[in-house]
Amino acid sequence: MTNIIDLNIKEKVYKNKKTQLSILNNFNLKVNAGEKIAIVGESGVGKSSLLNIIGLLDIDYNGEYTLLGSRTDNLHANELAQWRNQKIGFVLQESALINSLTIEDNIKLPLLYAGSGKFFFKEEDFENLINAIAIKPILKKKPLECSGGERARAVFARGVIMKPQIILSDEPTASLDVENRERIVNLLFKMNKEFNTTIITVTHDLEMANRHDRVIHLERSR
Amino acid sequence: MGRSLFRFVDALELCTAYIFCFFLNLLFDYVKTLDLGPYILKDFFKNFTDYQTLIIFLFTFIVIVFHYQMLHRKKTEVYCRILVGDTILNITIRYSLDCLMILGFVYLLSILINVYLNFNLTSNLYLVFIFITYILISARQVRKYENF
Amino acid sequence: MKIFKFFITKIFLRKAILSISIILLLFMANYTTFIATRSILSTFQGYQEIKCMNQEGIYIANLDPDSDVDIDAIGENGTQIVYDYLNNNFNYAFYTDGFMVSLPNIDDMEISLCYMNEEYYELNQFELSQGTDLDFDYQFDKDKEIPILIGKGLSKTYPVGSTIKIEDPVLEQPITLIVQGVLKQNAYHSNFYALNSKNYYNFSIFLPVNAEFIKNANIDLQLNGLMDIVILQTTKEKTVDLSEVMQDNLGLKFNFFSQEENFDYFKEYYLYSLKIMSITTLILLVIITCLSIWNALVSIRLMLRDFTINLLVGLSYSKLRKIFYSYFGILFFINLIVIFSITAYNRYECWLRKDATFATYGFFGLIGMDWFALLVVFLSDIIIGKIIVENMLRKIKKIPISLGVLQ
Repeated sequence: MTNIIDLNIKEKVYKNKKTQLSILNNFNLKVNAGEKIAIVGESGVGKSSLLNIIGLLDIDYNGEYTLLGSRTDNLHANELAQWRNQKIGFVLQESALINSLTIEDNIKLPLLYAGSGKFFFKEEDFENLINAIAIKPILKKKPLECSGGERARAVFARGVIMKPQIILSDEPTASLDVENRERIVNLLFKMNKEFNTTIITVTHDLEMANRHDRVIHLERSR
Repeated sequence: MGRSLFRFVDALELCTAYIFCFFLNLLFDYVKTLDLGPYILKDFFKNFTDYQTLIIFLFTFIVIVFHYQMLHRKKTEVYCRILVGDTILNITIRYSLDCLMILGFVYLLSILINVYLNFNLTSNLYLVFIFITYILISARQVRKYENF
Repeated sequence: MKIFKFFITKIFLRKAILSISIILLLFMANYTTFIATRSILSTFQGYQEIKCMNQEGIYIANLDPDSDVDIDAIGENGTQIVYDYLNNNFNYAFYTDGFMVSLPNIDDMEISLCYMNEEYYELNQFELSQGTDLDFDYQFDKDKEIPILIGKGLSKTYPVGSTIKIEDPVLEQPITLIVQGVLKQNAYHSNFYALNSKNYYNFSIFLPVNAEFIKNANIDLQLNGLMDIVILQTTKEKTVDLSEVMQDNLGLKFNFFSQEENFDYFKEYYLYSLKIMSITTLILLVIITCLSIWNALVSIRLMLRDFTINLLVGLSYSKLRKIFYSYFGILFFINLIVIFSITAYNRYECWLRKDATFATYGFFGLIGMDWFALLVVFLSDIIIGKIIVENMLRKIKKIPISLGVLQ
């Protein structure tokens, strides 16, 4: 099995005027294709920061990161954006939608940046996706007109529409009821099973974490 | 923190916007009284003083922008205040009174300057009516955030 | 293009108030720059025109502002004595205009007659588009036809070689004129004491005058001609004598200013005014740019989530920069069109009002200085646009995408 993620962080430092906080000291992570990884830990330990680094949202750290065989420090800002569009999908909390767009527009947002030739979008795939997550009735609605569960499914759909190789989910079920929580987790695992998508989830939900192949406990640096 | 939606920075921003509009109007009035001498200067400033009311009115748009962005930022606060026992009517009245207070303060300042410069005291009055209109319109918008 | 259209329709125009206010602010900046540039350019053009008259040995007349003017008390005798003194002792450039006459023409304009002598004509070097220069050697009482130059507006109705019969307002008798040439389009004359104020000759007739003509003209011409008279190749002492003659015979005090005095006057009067104008324009532009930046940052504050979610799903900062530049490019273009329309309409209004002295011919209604001012506006827009966009991007980059998404 090949490592699609090979991350070695020496440290990640957050600075403000008065203090300096160092997290993820000497943190190493290797992830194989198709693996399901859960990242757990107490608040403030750096779970979301780690996800931001993996997802190429944060390049300001001390370390080395090889993603899908390429060193990320060699990538230009435009290339980072392109990778976020085509290789990485983000499934965040249900509030991460643009309120002025319809659910359909929100889901299809990544297609705008797909460029020509590199990704061929089939309307049929979109239909299959929205049917699988049962959000066809709300496609023309705005996010504020939908329930939390519906919004969470819309965020999920946006994260997977480009069929990414890696899905990064940050507390995707944080404010959901049991039924919707189950729904989102099952959808993520279905992606993993059908398309061998690598799943990395940050969660406080230990039960959900234990359903992953591997659970990484982040601890505060001493 | 009191019951007002305004923080010090918000009040300062609105005050600055009002002062800018009133001051600009005073400046136009002052330029009109000047004996500029050279025809070229008279001609240049005439391009502005001839359209004084229109130009000032266009600049009052910055006050509209202030009200718009202020209410947008405060919508969560409005909803939270209602959750903990405040009413939309009280919030609206308080908001309007705060705006009127700031407007009144700036208008008083402009009257003092008018008196000092011996200008017509009513030359700024039209601005007051314009700003009161904006306050009333924006107060209506507060109601929109009742249900978040 | 797709992405840009998406941003315009789904993001920027959703908060229309912000778009409208930025358009208004940018319009004020553009209007200020346009007005200032045009005033400065017009003054500069006027100065170039006057420079040819402001040479060593030339003294330009100016009615003393403290002089008691009683026109009714001035008789033809008085003016005749002055002109005799002038003819015997000086070379002078004579010019007066503002005498109107009705003459059929395509545009139904009232025609302005401009009377000038040979010295004035040669000093100014008027450019012609057709025909030949004015001939001043005609015999006033013997020649039946007086050669004239006409403005472009009259050239279709009265081509070179055609004759015009008018009741001359200064000779108070019918005369026949023969078109000798056509002035260049938009030939103008600047007011000496208001260099940015121009009269255009598109609907004017240049009538050559000589001593005989002036002698037979009425007091209106004679008196008006003295107001702007230019004495050539003379000295201060002689102009003092002339001034005394004028005072004695007309009751009017005239001052004559040398080249050096005129330069000092220009420096004190015009340079100072141009400095005030430039400084005022700069201050206004700085204030408006600051207000525009504030407005733009407010937009960022309100639309942060929209921008950062797009960044999350694949929009790059460089593409976002291009979108912002394109957006402001459209706003500036709208403003340029508005200013162009206002200016073109103002120029057209002169035609509607039948205002012959201000009617001009231009490319899409605008003349050279208008286009130059628009170019300066365009360049200032580039600078203002760059300042605003870079500030917007700096604000967006300051906030991590992961935070902005959850705003």
